[in-house]
Amino acid sequence: MRTAKHRVLLALAVAALAVPSLTQGAGFALFEHGNRGMAMGGAMTAVADDPSALYWNPAGIAFQMDEGVQVQMGVTLIQPSQHFNGESPYPGDGYKAEQISQTFYPPHLYVVMPMNEHIALGFSVTTPFGLGTYWDDDFAGRFISKRVDLKLTEMSPNVAFKLTDGFAIGFGIDYAIGQIDLTNNIGFVDPYTQKVADVGQLHLSTDGLGNTAWGYHAGVQVKLGKGFSFGALYRSEINLTYTDGYGSFRQFATGHPDFDAALAAQIPFGQKVDIRSKITYPDFFTFGLAWQNEKWTLSGQWGRMDWSSFDELPIEFPDYPHLSTTVKEGYKNVDQYRFGVEYKLNEKLAVQAGYLHDNTPQPRASMSPLLGDGDRDGYCAGVSFEAFGIRTDVGYMYLDIDTRDTGGMSFDGYEGEYHSKAQLFGATMTLKF
Amino acid sequence: MKKLVLVLTLVALLGALPVSAQVDFTRYVALGDSLTAGFVSGGLVQYYQERSYPAYLAQQAGAPVFEMPLVSEPGFPPLLELKALVPSPVIQAKPGAPGMPLNATLPVPYNNLGVPGADLYDLLFTTGDIQNLLAGNTDNAMHDLILRIPMVLGPDGNPMEFPAIAQAIAQQPTFVTLWIGNNDELGAAVAGTPIDGITMTPVDVFQQLYPQAVGALATMTNAKIAIVNLPNPTAIPFVTTIGNYVDVPGIGTVQLEGEYGPIGDDDYITLGASALIAQGYGLPGFPPLPEDINPATGEYGVVLRAAEVQAIKDRVAAFNQIIQQTADAFGIPVLDINSIFDDIAAGDHWVLGGVEISADFLLGGIFGYDGVHPQSIGYGLVTTELINMINKAYGADIPQLNMGQVLFEGGEPTMPAGAKAADVVFSQAAFDRLKQTFPINLHEPRPISHDTQAID
Repeated sequence: MRTAKHRVLLALAVAALAVPSLTQGAGFALFEHGNRGMAMGGAMTAVADDPSALYWNPAGIAFQMDEGVQVQMGVTLIQPSQHFNGESPYPGDGYKAEQISQTFYPPHLYVVMPMNEHIALGFSVTTPFGLGTYWDDDFAGRFISKRVDLKLTEMSPNVAFKLTDGFAIGFGIDYAIGQIDLTNNIGFVDPYTQKVADVGQLHLSTDGLGNTAWGYHAGVQVKLGKGFSFGALYRSEINLTYTDGYGSFRQFATGHPDFDAALAAQIPFGQKVDIRSKITYPDFFTFGLAWQNEKWTLSGQWGRMDWSSFDELPIEFPDYPHLSTTVKEGYKNVDQYRFGVEYKLNEKLAVQAGYLHDNTPQPRASMSPLLGDGDRDGYCAGVSFEAFGIRTDVGYMYLDIDTRDTGGMSFDGYEGEYHSKAQLFGATMTLKF
Repeated sequence: MKKLVLVLTLVALLGALPVSAQVDFTRYVALGDSLTAGFVSGGLVQYYQERSYPAYLAQQAGAPVFEMPLVSEPGFPPLLELKALVPSPVIQAKPGAPGMPLNATLPVPYNNLGVPGADLYDLLFTTGDIQNLLAGNTDNAMHDLILRIPMVLGPDGNPMEFPAIAQAIAQQPTFVTLWIGNNDELGAAVAGTPIDGITMTPVDVFQQLYPQAVGALATMTNAKIAIVNLPNPTAIPFVTTIGNYVDVPGIGTVQLEGEYGPIGDDDYITLGASALIAQGYGLPGFPPLPEDINPATGEYGVVLRAAEVQAIKDRVAAFNQIIQQTADAFGIPVLDINSIFDDIAAGDHWVLGGVEISADFLLGGIFGYDGVHPQSIGYGLVTTELINMINKAYGADIPQLNMGQVLFEGGEPTMPAGAKAADVVFSQAAFDRLKQTFPINLHEPRPISHDTQAID
């Protein structure tokens, strides 16, 4: 028992150290919460037969009583790439840019504890939302964003009840911690040259982990007989008001000292000033149907994310109201479709494959250097093996994102075409006690 | 057989044309005034002439030739420049002798026939003679510079006058843009005084002349035509920049006074008042700001009362109605620059790559140092809107202007900020420059009817 406790603590410590920093998932939602699930296209709501059920359907842990205490943890490495081809009027036909490559590593951690025949408890740490884009300093979209890192980490206690042999429900409370880090240049018409000049840089950052909000989720799983099961999940909106953060302004000399002085009278260069923002993260519901026998698992799933909650992104400077802005977003609700298959070669070895289609919630007008999204098709594969009492799931996904252009409608006046794709690769380990 | 060959040739030609090529810029002529000429910050100079909206449009539409009456640095007249921004902006004319014509010997009329200062009447009837200008006479300088030849032999073998419209028709253009009429009302705002027949062209005269101009182009050429209407005077920083209150150290906020009493929130004070306010005019214990043009001295008024602004706007609306009706009659599309400029003046900024471009004086980017005329970014805006309109109206596919280049390109060389002594926003010299641009003849109103044989 003593050893087991240590291992649980170690797992928690590892998860806490791995600072999540991420991207991918239509809009900026993430659905990579376990590499077996990822390899099955995320079609896990009806399956929910491992600890990652705590994200996809908490009712599922009520059917995992025989597994004992389980600790599952892992990480998915995400390597997105994006090219941008500009169009006139701005930044102009022929302009090309490419994002600086980055690798993100959102971790996941699940602990499942059966209490008795009917009740199981669970605890999870996931990162259901994340966004990271990074462009060169001289990038033509630098007045909108040079670099952004936005993430929402959730810590969720869960409880699930097996009401009958074929019917379980589960609930969880989500304690969400939001972080934003955003850098852009400030552009102004230099009255001497009558051209646009880079007069400074703004760095917005939430300071630490003080921006939090609560949400909840619930799921139901029904064993329909003959190997069929049905699952449903609802995850609530997370309404997060960011009050703990700052904006820091840095001035760039234009070569015209009196212009610089005039700007400095308006913009608090060299200072850290309070900022406020607010993001309503969308609610999400999904329904799945699966069929399983000794060897095979087949699963299909439909989901809808109510992205219309993300209508605008206000950035307020309470002490400098003239600097406050509101970024128009205008997202719409979208559907997603997920399919997965698993084949167990034997007790210790299984392979998975999956496909997903995620519609983008982002209208063409709000595509920007912050995020230029498109509909996504994910092609996934994975393998699970057990050795030394530890199950390891290795998953891979190639995410093909539709090329889209702003069609002359960009809210930011930044027209062009975004070509994107991503590769995801990760490993998840499950320990049973 | 001949017929068949002709048909085949035509088919081949048509087949060779790009599907979207619904407009032909082989011979493009721009008619208008200072806004068409690429007049910026009080003068004409090559750098900005090449960034006029007709030059941008010709470039985007792939016009093989676009000849302009180019002028060397520091411009004709020398351009205004910003000498200092704080504590108060100082705007002065560049030093040195005026620039010289660079393209005066071109043996054919220019493609850009925009003449600074020209009104509708001038477009139809006023000629110019380059010899007059080269002899040092500046009484008709812009027409002399741009139209150059006053008379030519007409098709019937008789000499005929050669005003801008005739120079356009003589080129048998394939495409024409027409933006005329600004000087039929803008002078009222610059002089702070709307007077029918003096600073504003009477509506019936405009009604008589505008269809003549468009009719001549429509019937005497095969050109496709695009027309631009007229912006309101309240869209330009010359009118909107100065508030009716000033902060006087030691006293506080003081409402400025004009000759007719305190200047209200709905009234406007023009940039022409700037040098006067710096001397104390309009403040308690000083003379009031002059409101109207002075018939004795020719000095302009610098206050536009609400009723005066309304009178000018009403005149603009009347002209725009005539422009629209005329265009409709000839099936010509009109760019409604009036509402575009109004929207921008109302704060509906033009956002490019996250940078807000506005109608603010000095910092907005659209207008140059004279507060009346756009500079390259503003002419880029006009071009962008014009291309959108032409593409839509004619089913064309002219590529949009690359504003990325316009926003950041090196710019004309700027002198380092010099002496900051003068505590003046808009120097008297700068205002005088504008008066040259908008000359008002108090004593000789234009004849309303005129021998129109020149274009018949």
